[in-house]
Amino acid sequence: MIGVGRRWGHAAAGVLSVVYLVPLAWIVITSLKSDDQIRGAPNALAFTPTLDVFREVLDVGGGAIVTSLRLAGFTTLLVIGVGVPAAYALSRLASPGWRRLVTIAMGVLLVLQMVPQPMAVIPLFSILARWKLVGTLPGVVLADVSLLLPFAILLLRPFVLSIPGAIFEAAELDGTNGWQRFRYVVLPLSANGIATVGSIVFILAWGEFIYATTFLTEQTRLPVSGLLAQQINLYSVSWNRMMALAVLTSLPLLAVFLLAQKRLVQGLSVGAVK
Amino acid sequence: MLTTATASSGSGSRSPVRLAVTRFTQQPWGYLLPAVIILGALAVFPLIQLARMSLSEVGPRTIVGPWEFIGWSNFRKAFGDRIFWQSVRATGTFTLVLLVVDLVVGYLGAAVLSSGTWSTNLALRIMVFVWALPPIVSGSVWRFLLAGNGAINSLLGLVGMESVDWLSSPDRALLSVSLVAAWASLPFSILVIHGGLLSLPTDVIEAARIDGAGFWGLSRHIVLPILRPTLAVLTVLIILYAFRSFDFVYVMTEGGPGTVTTTLPYFAYNTAFKTYQFGVASALAMVSMLVVIVLAVPYMLGLRKEHAG
Repeated sequence: MIGVGRRWGHAAAGVLSVVYLVPLAWIVITSLKSDDQIRGAPNALAFTPTLDVFREVLDVGGGAIVTSLRLAGFTTLLVIGVGVPAAYALSRLASPGWRRLVTIAMGVLLVLQMVPQPMAVIPLFSILARWKLVGTLPGVVLADVSLLLPFAILLLRPFVLSIPGAIFEAAELDGTNGWQRFRYVVLPLSANGIATVGSIVFILAWGEFIYATTFLTEQTRLPVSGLLAQQINLYSVSWNRMMALAVLTSLPLLAVFLLAQKRLVQGLSVGAVK
Repeated sequence: MLTTATASSGSGSRSPVRLAVTRFTQQPWGYLLPAVIILGALAVFPLIQLARMSLSEVGPRTIVGPWEFIGWSNFRKAFGDRIFWQSVRATGTFTLVLLVVDLVVGYLGAAVLSSGTWSTNLALRIMVFVWALPPIVSGSVWRFLLAGNGAINSLLGLVGMESVDWLSSPDRALLSVSLVAAWASLPFSILVIHGGLLSLPTDVIEAARIDGAGFWGLSRHIVLPILRPTLAVLTVLIILYAFRSFDFVYVMTEGGPGTVTTTLPYFAYNTAFKTYQFGVASALAMVSMLVVIVLAVPYMLGLRKEHAG
């Protein structure tokens, strides 16, 4: 398009695909190897695939998947439950005063979204300890919510804003109140956006490990991502186990990517900072 | 423009219809309140606490308080630490590698991939998937690929070269981790620049092409100047990304060998949760926060300008 021929395009696409596909393939290939194969020839390409290590990981860490499901599920519910009304409030410019407040709120949300997580974890630990929530799942859920809510509101707002004003006008002429307009106009018409943002929040919460490993002190309570992070603390890393956990940590992303790839990409790009 | 959609909607919605509607809209406070409470308690309040902790003596026993005010002593302790300055340098190197790879390779990649054939679309899809992977996943596979007995070294062995200590050599570990982080964030750069390239005015490009401009001339005199606001925002985003780059260090090298790959976020985290000096760690975090705030201003201005222009 800007003076680069198709042949260059094909070549670059080929190179980049290899550079990005090989590590992906390596995760899957390694996760299908047995302990003996890993010890003998960890990089062999010819081997008999086995699900042994998955079976073992699920035996030992089956609870981890339940933990991940609960963490990501509750986080998503809370973020959407709080974020959608907030996005609605920040989209309806009721008065000049409110409009100013919206500008300020948007600025605050952008800054909050930029706070590095390894920094936020320090005061959060103190606050959650004060509330006796360190070592509990609700503590991690709250931390995850605070991490993802600013991002979710910023992502949701354009979806609410894109609802044509005429629809609101019509709803008002019909004598609806604010709640009814939220319930019967905003929710159905931004359902796509809510689904998109909900899946992104779920994926991010599922892959989150800093809060999980810092706040959940007992290893038995860790989610899948936390178990993966813990692998590095082991005296000798067993690569097949690590890669099996990596596969499990990527599962929601894979599912959403296969089902709704385009929307996911758009949503993630809008979030920019992530 | 992909990156700006979040901020652009702030001022762009003053249609007459919308204004007429909003006059009748009920008070929106109630809808915002839950978010204000949660973010107030778990996002804004922590920042205030962080500032207080950075000026107080906070150890493992006093993590919930009461905190004794000790002035700037935590900052003095942090600035007096050799590892602090080393972590600043490591963060600088890390950021620089990310910027060079993401902007230069990002631009070239986006330009080459903009031909829009099946192969370039497929490559973009694969890259976006990798970018969306949890960093701990991409970090751990590279830890394996770059390990002493990993695939990269056995590939080198196949062509008769000696294996390389990618992650365990003090001279090379930081570069290796930085390059992996660049690998993981490059898709985002390409995606953003790709979006910018698609919105270029085709008539201008065509005219320049007829005048005999090649790829480099076109880039230098037309494309890059037009893309400048996008690239400015992208630059800030990359620097911010580098400042949260904890995950790759954590998974791949744990800050080592020695403290070679200890970046500022990793150092702050370790000071808090390995040595339990929460006060000093907070001071370190405040220094990083300062960088974030300094960058947040041009970021928001850049977003606004790009939207206006």
